[in-house]
Amino acid sequence: MQGSDETVIVTRGLRKEYDMGAEIVYALRGVDIAIRRNEFIAVMGPSGSGKSTLLNLVGCLDTPTAGEYILNGSPVQDLHDDELARIRNREIGFVFQTFNLLPRATALHNVELPLIYAGVRAGPRRERAARALEHVGLADRMTHQPNELSGGQRQRVAIARALVNEPSILLADEPTGNLDSTTSADIMTLFIELHHHGQTIIMVTHEHDIAEFAGRIITLVDGMVASSDAKLSSAPFASAAPPVITNSS
Amino acid sequence: MSLAEAIRVALTQIWAHKLKSLFSLAGVAIGITFLIAVIAVVEGMNRYVQEDFAGSLFGVNTFSVVRRPTVQTGNRSAEEIRRLNRNPYPDLDDVAAVRRAVPSARYFAYRDARRMSQVWHGERRRRNVRVIGGSEDYQGTQGWEVEVGRGLTPLDQQRGLKVVVIGPEIAEKLFPTASPLGKRIRLEAHRYEVVGVFKRKGGLLGNAWDAAILMPYETYNQTLSSKRDRVLEILVKTNNESELREAMDVAEGALRVSRGLRPGEENNFYFQTSTQLLSAWERINNILLAAVPGLVSISLVVSGIVIMNIMLVSVTQRTREIGVRKAMGARQRDIMMQFLAESSFLSLLGSGIGVLLGLGLGKLVERLSPLPASIPSWALATAIGLGLIVGLSSGIYPARRASRLNPIDALRYE
Ligand SMILES: Nc1ncnc2c1ncn2[C@@H]1O[C@H](COP(=O)(O)OP(=O)(O)OP(=O)(O)O)[C@@H](O)[C@H]1O
Ligand SMILES: [Mg+2]
Repeated sequence: MQGSDETVIVTRGLRKEYDMGAEIVYALRGVDIAIRRNEFIAVMGPSGSGKSTLLNLVGCLDTPTAGEYILNGSPVQDLHDDELARIRNREIGFVFQTFNLLPRATALHNVELPLIYAGVRAGPRRERAARALEHVGLADRMTHQPNELSGGQRQRVAIARALVNEPSILLADEPTGNLDSTTSADIMTLFIELHHHGQTIIMVTHEHDIAEFAGRIITLVDGMVASSDAKLSSAPFASAAPPVITNSS
Repeated sequence: MSLAEAIRVALTQIWAHKLKSLFSLAGVAIGITFLIAVIAVVEGMNRYVQEDFAGSLFGVNTFSVVRRPTVQTGNRSAEEIRRLNRNPYPDLDDVAAVRRAVPSARYFAYRDARRMSQVWHGERRRRNVRVIGGSEDYQGTQGWEVEVGRGLTPLDQQRGLKVVVIGPEIAEKLFPTASPLGKRIRLEAHRYEVVGVFKRKGGLLGNAWDAAILMPYETYNQTLSSKRDRVLEILVKTNNESELREAMDVAEGALRVSRGLRPGEENNFYFQTSTQLLSAWERINNILLAAVPGLVSISLVVSGIVIMNIMLVSVTQRTREIGVRKAMGARQRDIMMQFLAESSFLSLLGSGIGVLLGLGLGKLVERLSPLPASIPSWALATAIGLGLIVGLSSGIYPARRASRLNPIDALRYE
């Protein structure tokens, strides 16, 4: 693959507005970002600046009011619900602050979920889910339900679930927001390891020490990108400039 | 595809909310119970009429002498019914009296019959057979045709030979490979030689006569009769309407004389004509057939609405779960399928329970009345089909609503 083809995500003039009747809330007001393969990005900014909104759009959980979103070279902003479902299933792994596990299902079944919707047969599905759980250190908790697990363990299950279908990007919205500091550190170690193994990660966080782990910090203010700093620890990347997109063959 | 997942989720969901599930399937269960019970009784009555009175239904210009009317028409007082129930069965003396009274009858026949639990040939057995001891003309009055072998002859009758003509269903069961002709069958301790097999009457609901065994009245009287010389009915067919009236009058007088009834005393026997019987039966049938589909569909529509509402509540309660599934890549049809599976399972479970309860109710009717309960397989298929239709149609709106939720709105739902 050529260097410029390494761009996974490009957004141009991405806008999201909520019509609240009396007023319109402008959650995103024209966001241009470009993210390359194997980047580890931290999204920061004050509360209400549109971080979650941006991540949800990038994760195809929501659709923009205006603007373009190009994922792996193809525009997705106008796709139909089921096509978006396919992208969520294959290309994106999402980790939420509140875990969002199915309460009545075992850890193993929760991790199997994306594979079920990918149409993987029961045998290989269980095997892959089990491997993903081993990978996050939960080999001995597979048959536990979420309420029998600690917060950190639940988030590990959620990470295993996000990764089990080998997505091209891993999105995390304040993944340590509900965890204490030691557990947070463990989860962060996991993310760093994943990044070292080549995983592209975009993570929303409030905490600067956590953002320090990232290679680049995108800061949102009032629904717009205020800064997009590349740091030395990560691969050098000319950020603010509009990315050059070549047609992928 | 995730059909297996849909079913798995449906079952866990139903099991996790047992009480709620029970409520939602109760409506379907009640509707189907009702349907099955009514079909069981109607079918039972049909068979009852076929088995016990078909003999009286051999057409116009016919009357039969019986102990009491075979179908209650409903406008009789309890006192009268009690009196009719005290009437003695006709016997061979009555047969002789009626025969002398109507020498010019076109047909004159009589029969006795009983239901027997089993008939044997060697190790093979057929359960539930109808054994008839018929007089010489009896087979002719029924319009039965013989498929193989021969019918009963006057000689069989006169000598009381132990020969039988059997229905095709019995022939199939006892003699699956070889010809039954010349073989012996056993009823209780008695053995009879098979001389013929009747042609199948069949029909949509099957025909009770296809599992009947006919033997000479005399033979029956000597071997299986529950009361010697008893006759279930005496059948008379005349040439025309006016002869019928006249024959009935004469026969009535003759019977009164032979039974020693004083003037003014009520008849202790009953004359039945085919028109009477048919109109009574038709009336019952019409009432049932008019009322049942309406009542059943009302109860099914109501229970469908109940299921739909419970499913809608369920969709609301599980909005976050739907959000999680959609976030993990569930398509609209996956979510649809999940909720449809749930509503269909509920409804099918309901109709299954309804079938069992309906069968129970039918059995109860059977014990408390002379009507045999009978459930044809099409009724079971109908019940299952209705269950499925109610389940799918009541699930479709909630399922669509669930499937169209925006993933992020669903995930944010509190
Ligand atoms: N569903 C919605 N309806 C209306 N307004 C919304 C909705 N979702 C978000 N907003 C508004 O959009 C803006 C951006 O919200 P967003 O959740 O993206 O902020 P955030 O940066 O993630 O904040 P936090 O750090 O508190 O999580 C806020 O003003 C918020 O009130
Ligand atoms: Mg947020």
